[in-house]
Amino acid sequence: MSAGSPALHPIEKAILKALSTNDPQSAVDLSTGTGLEMDQVRRGIEWLKFKDFISVNELSASRVFLANEGAVTKNNGLPERRLVNAVKEGKNTIAEVLASGVIKNEEVNAAIAGARRNQWIQLVEGKMIATTLAEKQSPEEVFLARLDSEGTDITKLTDEEKRTLDQLKKRPNYIEVKEEKETKISLTDAGRMLLPTLKEEINAERRLTTDLITSGKWKETKFSALDVEAPAPAAYPGRRHPLVDIIEEVKEIFVGLGFEEIDGPMVQSGFWNFDALFTPQDHPAREMQDTFYVSGQKQEIPASNDQIKKISSIHKRGWGREWDAEEAKRMVLRTHTTPVTLQHLAKIKPESGRFFSVGRVFRNEKVSYKHLVEFHQVEGVATAPNASLRDLMGLQKEFYAKMGIKKIKFWPTFFPYTEPSLQSMVYNEKLEKWVELFGMGIFRPEVTQPLGIKNPVLAWGGGLERIAMLRFGLDDVRELYSNRLAWLRSVPRCQL
Amino acid sequence: MAQERAKMPVVNITNDRLKKFVPGVKVDKVLDILPFVALDIEGVDSNVIRVEYNPNRPDFSSDYGIARALRGLLGIETGMPKFKVASKSGQAIRVDPAVKKIRPCIVALVAKNGRLDDETIKQLIAMQEDLHNGVGRRRKKASIGIHNLDAISFPIIYKAAGSDYSFVPLGESSSMTIGQILKESEIGKQYGHILDKFDRYPVIVDSAGTTLSFPPIINGDITKVDTKCRNLFVEVTATDQKAAEDVLAIIAVTLQDAGFEIRTVSIGNREMPQMRPNQIAADINYINGILGLDLDARQMIMCLKKSRLDAKTRGSKIICTIPRYRTDITHSIDIAEEVAIGYGIYNLEPTFPASTTAGQKNLLSTYFEAIRETMTGLGMLESLNFSLTSKEVQYDSFGIKASDMLSVDGSKSIEHEILRESLIPSLLQSLSRNVHEEYPQRLFEIGKTFRKNGEIAESWNVAAVVAHGEAGYTEIKSAIQALLKTCFGKDATTKAASSPFFMSGRCAEITVEGKTVGMIGEVTPPALERFKLRVPVAGFEINLSALTGA
Repeated sequence: MSAGSPALHPIEKAILKALSTNDPQSAVDLSTGTGLEMDQVRRGIEWLKFKDFISVNELSASRVFLANEGAVTKNNGLPERRLVNAVKEGKNTIAEVLASGVIKNEEVNAAIAGARRNQWIQLVEGKMIATTLAEKQSPEEVFLARLDSEGTDITKLTDEEKRTLDQLKKRPNYIEVKEEKETKISLTDAGRMLLPTLKEEINAERRLTTDLITSGKWKETKFSALDVEAPAPAAYPGRRHPLVDIIEEVKEIFVGLGFEEIDGPMVQSGFWNFDALFTPQDHPAREMQDTFYVSGQKQEIPASNDQIKKISSIHKRGWGREWDAEEAKRMVLRTHTTPVTLQHLAKIKPESGRFFSVGRVFRNEKVSYKHLVEFHQVEGVATAPNASLRDLMGLQKEFYAKMGIKKIKFWPTFFPYTEPSLQSMVYNEKLEKWVELFGMGIFRPEVTQPLGIKNPVLAWGGGLERIAMLRFGLDDVRELYSNRLAWLRSVPRCQL
Repeated sequence: MAQERAKMPVVNITNDRLKKFVPGVKVDKVLDILPFVALDIEGVDSNVIRVEYNPNRPDFSSDYGIARALRGLLGIETGMPKFKVASKSGQAIRVDPAVKKIRPCIVALVAKNGRLDDETIKQLIAMQEDLHNGVGRRRKKASIGIHNLDAISFPIIYKAAGSDYSFVPLGESSSMTIGQILKESEIGKQYGHILDKFDRYPVIVDSAGTTLSFPPIINGDITKVDTKCRNLFVEVTATDQKAAEDVLAIIAVTLQDAGFEIRTVSIGNREMPQMRPNQIAADINYINGILGLDLDARQMIMCLKKSRLDAKTRGSKIICTIPRYRTDITHSIDIAEEVAIGYGIYNLEPTFPASTTAGQKNLLSTYFEAIRETMTGLGMLESLNFSLTSKEVQYDSFGIKASDMLSVDGSKSIEHEILRESLIPSLLQSLSRNVHEEYPQRLFEIGKTFRKNGEIAESWNVAAVVAHGEAGYTEIKSAIQALLKTCFGKDATTKAASSPFFMSGRCAEITVEGKTVGMIGEVTPPALERFKLRVPVAGFEINLSALTGA
């Protein structure tokens, strides 16, 4: 076989050989001829068809079969035959023929018309006489005689036969014409060109073995070419979770913008999750409907007496109501990562600095295609002596640009612990619409002052799952945590 | 930054009313400008714009309030809206001290000579609902009754009554006792809990003995408001005087915008509503600094006027006058935001502050990266499961009698009611969801685990499972050895042990330098059965925090 010619699977070779002697054939014929199982033949046909060595043609053919009346007539003879036989036996009038019972009343017209058409009888002085032509079979008789249970291919009929068929069709229930589909496989020109090389192929080695290599036998061995175009089984590499890909991407962006990563507990005191963020103690977000509290868990507030005193008095002043330390002791699954950020800022009190975190947060939601009880939040803060709202917008713009998002706009909004507050809208090219992404703002003085944080703190953040849904084209956020292998294996690592 | 805005209240504005509020302004222009007064467009159809507002702006609870802001930013009408108290109504409410312990505060106003059409009534009812839910904290803190003034004989008394006290509640044709209302009516069942602790109940009764209201549950039927009403009486009862006055101020300005003359009502020698504006001084440099702008005093005053505030300069400061209904403005930082909104957020150019420090991931992230690389190199697929799981998955599936589990209160789903102590059950659950997929299946997860240890102790764990016809102890031991060696240069040793997850005799503790850091083994057949798994599964879990101290 010449170099560059395709290698073939044994099944393919068997099929090609069978076709080389008889073309075209049906799949059933090929199975019988090659001794292969039907499913092997079917696979081989698919492969060869894909390579253009064979063509598979679906032929539709009309076949003619005997219908009920036709079958009876084939045994008993056509009415005109029975009539002329009766005439030969001396029954010269229709009345006599009818009386003999060989034809029925309703057959009389057809019998006379047929006998006349064939010129089988003559009328002499009112009496019927059989002619010599009556010795011959009529075309219709010939046609009926050759029809069997297999039927006859209509395309193979002569014009003469077709006329006879039309004639027979006029007789009720004699003839049935059925449409039949048949698949025939035949060699293409490319396939025929392969045939001479097939023989040579059969004596070649399929595998290069250690023995062949070490013994040096490879030198005189002829190796068959492999079917390099044949499909190989799927391999599933180990891989990171697609959401983790995004988390890592976000971390890289933060690091690139000069942010330092921070991390902290997922279970937080109400004090840091809410009170330190100036969220009033009767705020709806603090209710069990929205927030998960750990059953029966209260802990001493993890803050200095000075911090507690200052924060409680700012609540009294700002919200005009008593501040209850017990409420601040309740342990809550953090509803945002901001308590972690804030504790870090309170601890190091930086003149300036940039910090970020990516972590899980919790909301007591009814799980649905758009809500989870637990999701990832990304958060960045930047503080500097002259940090401004425009800087915050600039950081945001840069962050998005690094995520490949170019078109953004800002709207004012409200968060309990930032002022001014903005929300960012980004243009999604795929959806062709503006979607809401991260929220942002400058920490309120009521948040920073009690903790001794002097300079404005710019903060922004939001859920990562939303970005993941946009990126992966998901309609249902639950897919991200379904761990369906089919999905995990299908998501491309890089978006081209 | 939290997404606090999941459940925002909505106001409907019809195009007909919009035309009157902002004459000559096209609907498209309004839709463009609404987001810049912090209003989200929730939906638009042929005749109505549905607008979401943030709960810090209860004055946006009717289309009148939204119109005030729109007119400002569009320049149709700027500065603080004029509020005029026509006169004292001369009417009074007497407060019986018995209500002090139940619902101590009451304020009220009289609104005269207005006209109510269906749409105005709709707006007032929607406003009332929003105020109940927001400032009123689902009526607990404050609730509102709006009445037909002409059905009332003054003076009024706000007093406490027993559960057998009866009157005809709104929408009913016959008298019911308070006890019946609380037990039998829908509204009573919904809000009755607010009065649970009490055996006396607040009622507002006029001099003819007519019951106006049983706050915060329901009004009396007799003072029902309809389109024929020209004169209104509005009362707000509350547990907190400030909340009551805040709510009343918003209602007062709204009714004035709706065409009523507002008259005061005397309560304990004070005339209500109190509409005196507040004043806040803010440093011009401070505001410019926060916003990153360089506005002079005149420009800043202009911006504030577009935000419907009044302002003047005093030295280097702006003295800002804040109408009583803007309860959200309490600090000079709030003035900065009003300047930004008046300036137009769309006019703010982002500036990028160059970084002066190098960024860095923390140590934990570095560990995670190494672990992920090693585990994926071993052909494992990373899973992500929730920290909140079910008792069924975490404990019952392994016959563990949990005595110390950490659960959360009031979870809306039994699938998320406890904090997981181990990752292995979650991974088995993941395998369970993939029984129809091709084997071998190899999964790992890095996740937080939670344990009650006096206080709540959190640790980062790494776990892996392998599942296929030939899966067993040796394969998973090779994996943990490779992980500890590659990531941390440590040798793992295994010591026979027992665990509810693993078969006895095929289970070990993983120790590193004599310290136990995890467990390894072949999953028990009963557990496999629980998770509907038909192939053997082996797994390990290590406590990364114990290993690394991170």
